[in-house]
Amino acid sequence: MADRRDEVLQTVARLIAEVVGDEWMQWGENKAITVETSFSGDLELESIEFVALAEKLQQQYGRGVDFVGWLSGKELDEIITLRVGQLVDFIVERAPATIEAVPEGRR
Amino acid sequence: MQELGPGSGADVDAAQPPIVMLHGLLLGSLASWYFTAAPALARSRRVILYDLRGHGLSQRVPGGYGVRAMAADLRALLDALAPQPVALVGHSWGALVALRLALDQPARVTRLALVEAPLPPGRLDELRAFAARDPRDMAAALPASLRAALDGGGRRGARLLAALAFLTGESSALADVAAEPDVPDDVLRGVRCPVLLAYGTDSSCLPVGERLARVIPGAHLARLSGGHYLHLDATAALTHALEVFLAEARPHA
Repeated sequence: MADRRDEVLQTVARLIAEVVGDEWMQWGENKAITVETSFSGDLELESIEFVALAEKLQQQYGRGVDFVGWLSGKELDEIITLRVGQLVDFIVERAPATIEAVPEGRR
Repeated sequence: MQELGPGSGADVDAAQPPIVMLHGLLLGSLASWYFTAAPALARSRRVILYDLRGHGLSQRVPGGYGVRAMAADLRALLDALAPQPVALVGHSWGALVALRLALDQPARVTRLALVEAPLPPGRLDELRAFAARDPRDMAAALPASLRAALDGGGRRGARLLAALAFLTGESSALADVAAEPDVPDDVLRGVRCPVLLAYGTDSSCLPVGERLARVIPGAHLARLSGGHYLHLDATAALTHALEVFLAEARPHA
């Protein structure tokens, strides 16, 4: 499970870098992403970038990992203070195996 | 553009029209709805969110911020994604765009939820006061949640300021707002679909909601505790009002 968690963390970190794009070099260099990293306070991810990240995660892990449903159970304040580890835990819980993508309608 | 819907284990209610949600000018993006009312609505419905031109991750274009140009964008989006009738939810400028489509193509719109629609558009006190500021000073006029983004002057604050500086300084957005005509009462009387009006009790737009409630046949005015950014100030109450309104049976079904 620890391995799976590391693996998901690596993937999440890579997708964050993709979303931040060119600015990653400027802003991300000194920010190693760990489970303690907060999306807002540490990464300063814009809300619209968080949406783009969720889309990439959905492509990566399939519809079974329902980010929108997960977010809908949270208050806005909670979303703002989210840490990378909480997202990783959610993914590990919903997609425990090393499947890259779950095909549509198959769960 | 983002398309939301029920996760695995639940089905989209195919009998219900998709919901298309439009955000407000300058500060809005599809994230305005994505992090507030959209997820709850998407539990049983197909929900389409998009960035208006020049906003969010949409291309930063110099012109075409008027209601008619944006309604043409919406029509093109619907042609591609949802040719069937849809329910529209709009905040502020997005509400005016939704209203325009309902007036121009009534067969296309089953229900219309107008959140804090400003009319006449150019006279919205808050927007005029906001637009008169230097982009760097605009921060002081932002809702608390966005103001927090600017504290510390980091990456997110810099991006927010750059987006505002483009829209207010390098695009026709403010000129288009100033030039936007009112929608006369006799035109408003022609709205045929059920209408929900949601306005904040602390918003300078509240009298607009009262006017629309008098003029649009059968329109219901919900007064919610909050200001112009009602999706942020009264997220739960607004989401509930939208859920109830959008789930009502179609009048001619």
